[in-house]
Amino acid sequence: MAIIEVVNVDKIYNDSEVKVTALSNINLKVEKGEFTAIVGPSGSGKTTLLNLLGGLDTPTNGKIRVGDVWLNELKGSKLIDFRLRNIGFVFQSYNLIPVLTAGENVELIMQLQGVPAKLRKQVAADMLGKVGLADRINSRPAKLSGGQQQRVAVARALASKPQFILADEPTANLDGKAAENLLQIMEQLNQTEGVTFIFSTHDQRVVSRARRVIQLEDGKIKSDFLQ
Amino acid sequence: MLVSLSWRNVWRNPTRSMVVVVAVALGLWGGVTAMALINGWVKQRIADSIQNEISHIQIHNPDFLLNEEVDKTFNFDSVAATLESTEGIVGFSGRLKVFAMAQTDRANSGLVVLGVRPGSERSISGIPNKLILGSFLEGDFNTPSIVLGKKAAEELKLVTYELTDSIIQKFSAKEPKLSMEIQKLSGKRYKSRSDFIKALKWVLEPTLFNQYSEPIADSCISFRLNGPVVLTFQTSSGELHSEMFRVRGIYRTSNTAFDARMAYVNFENIASAVNIQPGHVHEIAILCKGNTEAVNIAEVLSAAHKNLSVRSWNEISPEIALYAAFGDFMGMIYVVIILFALAFGIINTMMMSVLERYREFGMLMAIGMNRSRVFSMIMMESVFLTLTGGVAGILLSTGFIRIFARTGIDFGMWAEGFEAIGYSSVVYPEITISNYLLITFLVIATGILASLWPARRALKLNPMQALRVE
Repeated sequence: MAIIEVVNVDKIYNDSEVKVTALSNINLKVEKGEFTAIVGPSGSGKTTLLNLLGGLDTPTNGKIRVGDVWLNELKGSKLIDFRLRNIGFVFQSYNLIPVLTAGENVELIMQLQGVPAKLRKQVAADMLGKVGLADRINSRPAKLSGGQQQRVAVARALASKPQFILADEPTANLDGKAAENLLQIMEQLNQTEGVTFIFSTHDQRVVSRARRVIQLEDGKIKSDFLQ
Repeated sequence: MLVSLSWRNVWRNPTRSMVVVVAVALGLWGGVTAMALINGWVKQRIADSIQNEISHIQIHNPDFLLNEEVDKTFNFDSVAATLESTEGIVGFSGRLKVFAMAQTDRANSGLVVLGVRPGSERSISGIPNKLILGSFLEGDFNTPSIVLGKKAAEELKLVTYELTDSIIQKFSAKEPKLSMEIQKLSGKRYKSRSDFIKALKWVLEPTLFNQYSEPIADSCISFRLNGPVVLTFQTSSGELHSEMFRVRGIYRTSNTAFDARMAYVNFENIASAVNIQPGHVHEIAILCKGNTEAVNIAEVLSAAHKNLSVRSWNEISPEIALYAAFGDFMGMIYVVIILFALAFGIINTMMMSVLERYREFGMLMAIGMNRSRVFSMIMMESVFLTLTGGVAGILLSTGFIRIFARTGIDFGMWAEGFEAIGYSSVVYPEITISNYLLITFLVIATGILASLWPARRALKLNPMQALRVE
């Protein structure tokens, strides 16, 4: 069974006087272990789709299933708890907590899950090791480069043992070398650990590494292919 | 880690947090010091009142309390036996109490005259140690002795203030500038302290006046020791009787009204003049080991002597029991007002801190931090911020209070005013553990209350929108 199923999803924003259709009639399935890129020009609906998949927003029509749970059936704290235990997030601008060290940033999500302190420390060290930052466990974000901070964000997402990781333009703020490094790590985690990655991007380097590419245009899926 | 994260968040902007910490520290310093001063005054007033004026327990014939008639006495020995065998009693003294008109060659004044035995009275009263001149009814004289309060002596015009050459020399040695100025008052006599102080104010520079007026006035007092005072009072048979006494001692307490009213004479002198039944007294005053014990002992004595009125200090003078409760309440009001004002500064700081971290809160809520955890984190930050200032303020005020608890703070400039209402002008600030606990509770409560608005702002945010905030 697919770990994500999107059924007839529309997203229409009625906030302003003008009605904006961000997504229209989206149907897709994502299988475990996929390395999928959602691509498209600005305003095509990439981030909206990612927000819907992550349970940060709700569709106007249609429904989304993650694992065996339909997200529209979850509200409030149940939805937050579901995100905590099932979905990993990597944001464009890293979003690490500046007063915590790299290790503590990774540990934080496990603490929210109620993981015992000793195990948290062990897992955090392990995850930072997987993204090549074992030696920076005690560094604060300000002492890390952009690429290193984004790798910590990946380690944080991994630490929660999610069903999949959503990454919104993860390389947008990185230089070429750092972006390449990050993609290598994500690809390796996907291949060796079977971690499912779904990322939005318009970076051609990222698109070329994705095995599945979903192209959006004007809120609709223009193409969906394996490469 | 949430606790550690909250603490570190407080210090993200150290300058901004320090401003709040310093404001809370200084505010609390002021509040706690005010509370300690009130405590000191109240405690001193209660101690003075018990030591010098009312003692811990008083026993009377119940009829005496109605009109204080001289024939309403009771047998001293029957009660003394009980008092001797009661634990917790430091001393007791049988007294006669009559109302008299006192006359000198220049003035007259109404007095309450206590007939006491000096030895017993010393065991329960601080008055024998408050003498500024003469002795407390000791010595063998042909004419009966009387000890007056300083204010009574002034009212009866038994006191003068005169700046003699030796006093001028003494103060000139301390402060050469004084020499010329006080010389102008040399040889002049003043009938009251206030007239003398006014004269000093006229000739002295303000700074010299503030520093030296009270010590100079104390040095210039001249009493007409052994001066005659005629007391007229009613005897037990209802006749008026006059008798001459000579002033052998002058006392001064921190309560001018008491000093103006109470006079002490030997028990036997008044007993024979008023014609009191042998072995009888109007009053037994008792001093106990402590204020609380006194209340319990009064209950025991009351049960043992049902025909007599036995009252503890809080019944004799309910207003001083009220001072204790009121003092605490007033001090707490000061602290609450100060913390209330500071709460706005804390809210402002916390609000800025929350608004600056909007995207961070969005991220935390996106990855799975629920609203109660976000709320707890902001509340802890506010409590840590307030508590840091609170601890600094408490330490600052503790140091201040410790120093002045030993030396006292002298409000000598307003001594006359303080003493008129029964308070000493030198106050020894005091703070109790329960005061500290209450202040700590109030500081934490302020921190929590100040966090509510900023936390509400954070809780209302939509993580998706917050993540887009630049």
